[in-house]
Amino acid sequence: MGCIRVGALFALIVAGALALTTAVPAPARADDSTIVFGAALAATGSNAREGALTKAGYDFWKDYVNAHGGMKVGGKTYKVDIKYYDDESNPQTAARLVERLVSEDHVNFILGPYGSANSATAAAAVERLKVPMVEGNGAAASIFSQGYKYTFAVLAPGFKYLQGILEMARTLKPAPKTVAISTANDTFSVEVGQGAADYATAHGMQVVYQNKYPADTTDVSAIVSAIKATNADIVLNGGHLDEALLLQRTFKEQDVNAKIFGYSVGPDTPDFRKTLGKDADWVFGGTQWSPTAKYQGAPGFIGDSKVYAAQFQKKYGYIPEYHNAESTAACLAFMYAIEKAGTLDPQKVRDALQNLDVVTFYGILKFDSRGINVYKPMAVNQIQHGQLMTVWPLGVQNAKPMYPTPAWSAR
Amino acid sequence: MGGITGNATALRVTVGILVLLAFVPLLHNGYYENLGRSVLMFATLSLGWNLIGGYTGYVSFGNVAFFGLGAYTSAALWQHWHQQSLLVAVLCAIVVGVVFAAVLGLPILRLRGHYFAIATLGMALALQEIVANIDWLGAGAGYAVRPLDAYSSYYVAMWIVCAGSMLATYLIARSKLGYAFVAIRENEEAAAVLGVDPTRYKVIAWAIGAAMAAAAGAVFAGANGFIDPPTAFATDSNVFPIVMALLGGVGTVAGPLIGAIILTAINESLWSRFPQIHTLFFGAVIVLVVVFLPRGLLWLLDTRGGWRAVAATLGAYRV
Amino acid sequence: MLFWQDLVNGILVGGIFAVVALGFSLVWGIMNIINLAHGAFIMMGAYTAYVLFATWHVDPFLSIPIGFVLLYAFGYCIQRFVINYVVRAPLLTTFLLTFGLSLLIVNVALLIFHGDTKGITTSYSGANFSIGAVTVGWTKLWTLLVALAITAIMHVWLSSSRTGRAIRAMALDIDAAQLTGVRVSHLYAVVFGLGAGLAGAAGVLISLSYSLQPSMGDPFVITAFVCCVLGGLGTVQGALVGGLVYGVLESFGAQYIGTGLQDAVALVVLLLVLIVRPRGILGKVTA
Repeated sequence: MGCIRVGALFALIVAGALALTTAVPAPARADDSTIVFGAALAATGSNAREGALTKAGYDFWKDYVNAHGGMKVGGKTYKVDIKYYDDESNPQTAARLVERLVSEDHVNFILGPYGSANSATAAAAVERLKVPMVEGNGAAASIFSQGYKYTFAVLAPGFKYLQGILEMARTLKPAPKTVAISTANDTFSVEVGQGAADYATAHGMQVVYQNKYPADTTDVSAIVSAIKATNADIVLNGGHLDEALLLQRTFKEQDVNAKIFGYSVGPDTPDFRKTLGKDADWVFGGTQWSPTAKYQGAPGFIGDSKVYAAQFQKKYGYIPEYHNAESTAACLAFMYAIEKAGTLDPQKVRDALQNLDVVTFYGILKFDSRGINVYKPMAVNQIQHGQLMTVWPLGVQNAKPMYPTPAWSAR
Repeated sequence: MGGITGNATALRVTVGILVLLAFVPLLHNGYYENLGRSVLMFATLSLGWNLIGGYTGYVSFGNVAFFGLGAYTSAALWQHWHQQSLLVAVLCAIVVGVVFAAVLGLPILRLRGHYFAIATLGMALALQEIVANIDWLGAGAGYAVRPLDAYSSYYVAMWIVCAGSMLATYLIARSKLGYAFVAIRENEEAAAVLGVDPTRYKVIAWAIGAAMAAAAGAVFAGANGFIDPPTAFATDSNVFPIVMALLGGVGTVAGPLIGAIILTAINESLWSRFPQIHTLFFGAVIVLVVVFLPRGLLWLLDTRGGWRAVAATLGAYRV
Repeated sequence: MLFWQDLVNGILVGGIFAVVALGFSLVWGIMNIINLAHGAFIMMGAYTAYVLFATWHVDPFLSIPIGFVLLYAFGYCIQRFVINYVVRAPLLTTFLLTFGLSLLIVNVALLIFHGDTKGITTSYSGANFSIGAVTVGWTKLWTLLVALAITAIMHVWLSSSRTGRAIRAMALDIDAAQLTGVRVSHLYAVVFGLGAGLAGAAGVLISLSYSLQPSMGDPFVITAFVCCVLGGLGTVQGALVGGLVYGVLESFGAQYIGTGLQDAVALVVLLLVLIVRPRGILGKVTA
C-alpha cells in the first residue's frame, strides 16, 4: 500500500474517533427560568443499585417542587431540573462528568454521586470549579479533612453509624459488656468499625474482637468462628448488604449466639428481610432514617416521614429506605439555602449552605466548618416479627427494643 | 514500510496527534482536559505493557500493580510529607516501580505463556490486598489527596510522561534492546543460543514498562484527588491498556496511543448515547476487536495484500 | 479448638471450589483456553436456581441438572460459533475474548435482574449439627457431597465413554485425533459446553450459601486458577485435590495470618506454586 493511502486511511480513522467524542447530544442548556442541577450517578457498575436509589430520591424532590409551584428565588419563580450522567461506579469518571456538567452543560449546582470514593473525587473537582455540591451518600472522613469549602454532606458521618446501637445497649438490662466488631476493608466500613470501637472503650465496654475482611469476600467462616470463640454480648458489623446477609446466615449455621446483632448496612433494606425471612428477626441496624422516624420538618416540603414514605411508595412502588431519603434531603439543603440566599450565585449559595440550620423529615440539616452534618444523630432500627421498627433514640422511637436476642436453637 | 517500530507514516501521523494534544490546556475546558489526560494516561500504560507484552511476547496481566504503586508513592508523599511536587512524585514512583519489577521479575519471568499471565494477575491482586492492610498507606480506606491549585500541571505532566514513554519505546525498538526483545518473542531458546541472555532482557523490558506505568500512576493520584486500593489497582487500568495496544497494533510505537484514542472515543460516545447499556457495547467492542484485528490496526495497514492476508491469518486461527 | 472448626470449614468450602475448578480445568487442560467468562457462567447457574426457586419453589438441589444442561447448551454454542474461530490464536486473543464475553454476560444479567442482591433461603437454611466443639451446617455438608458426586461422575465419564476418550485423545494430539475421524470442532464445543455446564452446576450449589448479584462470579475465576494450579491441570482428581487444599489453606490463612489478608494468602500460594512446582500436586510434567 502506498504511503499516502496509509496516511489517509489512518487519518480518517483517527478523525472519526475524535468526531465521535465531540458529537454528543446537545446538552440541556440551563434557560432563564430553570435551575439545573447536575449529578454523576452510578447507573452501571458495582454501585448501580444504590445509584438508582439515589436518583429516585433526587427525582422525587424535583417532581414535588415542580408540582408545587417551583422554587421562589429573589422574587422570581423557577422550575427545577436535574441532568444525570452515568459515572459507571468509577471515581475518575465521576470527576470527569462533574467537570463536564459544569463546563459543558453549564449546570447551576452539583448533587453528589454515590459512594465515598466517587464523592471524594467529585469534591476535589467542585472545589476547583467553585460550584457547591451537596451529597447524601459519601460519608468518609478523609473527604472533609482536606479543607474543601464547596462540599457538604447531609448524612451523619461514618463513625456514628453503629454508635447508636451501643448507646441504646447501655440502657438495657442486663447491660451487655463485651463487643465483637467485624468490618469490610474499605473507606467507609473501617471508619464505622473504628467509631464503634472507640465509643465502646470510652463507655466501659470491652472490645474483644476487631478485625477486617476483604471488601469483596465470599467467605466469612474464619471470622465467624473466631467471633463465636469470644462469646461476645454484642456482635457488630460495618460493611455492605452482601456481607450482612452472609454473616447473618453463617452466624446461624455455626450457631453463634449473642445478645445483640447489629449491622451498619442491611436491616434497613427490604432485601435483607425478604432473603432471610425469620432469620432476620431481632437484628439491629444503625440508620440515618426510617419511615417511622418522628421528625417534624419545616414548611416547603413534606414534613412527616410517614407521609414521605407513603407518597414515595405510591410513585415508585417500593417503601423508601435511607438512601432515598438522604438523597432527597441533599436536595432540600440546596432548596432552603438557595431560597435563603435569594440568588443563584454559587458563592452566595455556598455561604448559605454553610449557615444552614433547618429541620426536615430526615432530621436536622446543619453543617460544621468542614461540611459534615455532625448534628444529625443516628437512629437504631430493629427487625421485630418481620417489621422494621425504630427503637432508639427515645424521642423518635416507635417500639421498645426487644432484648436479649434468644439463641438460634430457642427460636 | 513497517518493521520494528511499525508503519512509518502512521508513526509520523501519531506523533503529530501527540503534539496537538499538548495544546488541550489552552482550551480552558475541564472536561476536555480530563478526557485528554485520561487518553495520555492509558496510552502510557499501554506503552508500558507493549514493551513486555508486545515486543517481548510475555503477556502480562498485572502491570496495573506498578501503576498502583506509583499512585501510592505520590499519595504517601502528600499524606506524610505534604509533598505536592510532581517531579519528586514521578521520580520516586519510577524508582519504586523499577525496584518492584526487578525483584518480582526474577522469579516470575521464569514462567511462560499462560503461567506467566496468571502469575502477573495474581501478583496484582495480591498487591492490592496487601496494600489494603497497610495502615501507613491508608489501608482499605485510602487517602484523599489534595490536588495542586495549578491543576493543568497534571495534564502537562501526563503529556510529558506519555511523550517520554513513546520516545523511549522508539529509541529502544531501534536499539540492541529492541532486537533482543523481539528475538526473545520469536524464539527464546534460539535467542539464548545466539548470545542474548533472556532473563536479563526480560527483566529490563518489564522494569522499563513498570517505570512508565508508575510514572503515570504518580501523576494520576494528585489529579484524581483520591486514592484507595480499588482505585489504584482498578481492573480497567489493567485490561484497557492491553485492548488498546491490541487495537492499535502490538509491538509498534504508535499503536498504544492510537488504540487509546480510539477506545476512549468509543467509550465516551457510547455512554452518552446509551447510558444503560454502554458497558455491554464495550464488551462487544472488545470481542469484535479481538476476533477481527488480532494484531491491531497498524499491522492491518501494513500487510501486503491487505485484507486478504488478514483473512488468511484469521483462517489459520480457527478449528 | 478453633483448629478443627477451621479445618471443617475449609473442607466444606473446598467442595464448592472443586466443582468451580473442574470445568475451568477441563477447558484449560484440553483446549489450552483460559476462560475468563467462567465466573459469568457460574453466575448464570446461580440465577437459574434463583428463578426456579422464586417462581416455582424448585429446591436448588433439584436445579443442579437443569443448570448444567442450560449452561452446557449455552457454552457449546459460544464455542462452536465464536471461540472456535480463534482457538489457535495466541493466548492474548482468547484471554481478551473471554474477558469481553464476561463483560457482555454480566451486563445483560444486570439489565435483566438489576443490581439488587438476591438470595435463596430454603426451609433448611442454617440447619446444623455439632460434633463436639465443631458445628457443621447441613447445607454445606450436602453441597460437599454433591460436589464429590459430580467429580466422580465426570471422572468415570471421561475415562470410559467414547466421547470422553475422544476428548482425551484430542488433548494429546489434535492432528492425530482429527486423522482418526474425531470431529474436532464439535468436540471442542463439547468440552467448552461441559466446562460451562459444570460452572452452572457450581453456580447452583453456590446459590445455596451465597448471595446473588450479577458480578458474583468474578472472584471465583481466581479461585479456579489457584485450584487448577495447585492441584494440577486437566484432570478431575487435580481439580478436586486443588479445591480441597485451597479451601483448607484459605481457612487457616484467614484465621492465623489475618482475615484482612485471606485472599492475598491464596494469591501468594498461587505464586509460590507457580514458581516452585508449576505442575501442581497431581499434575504430570508435560513435554
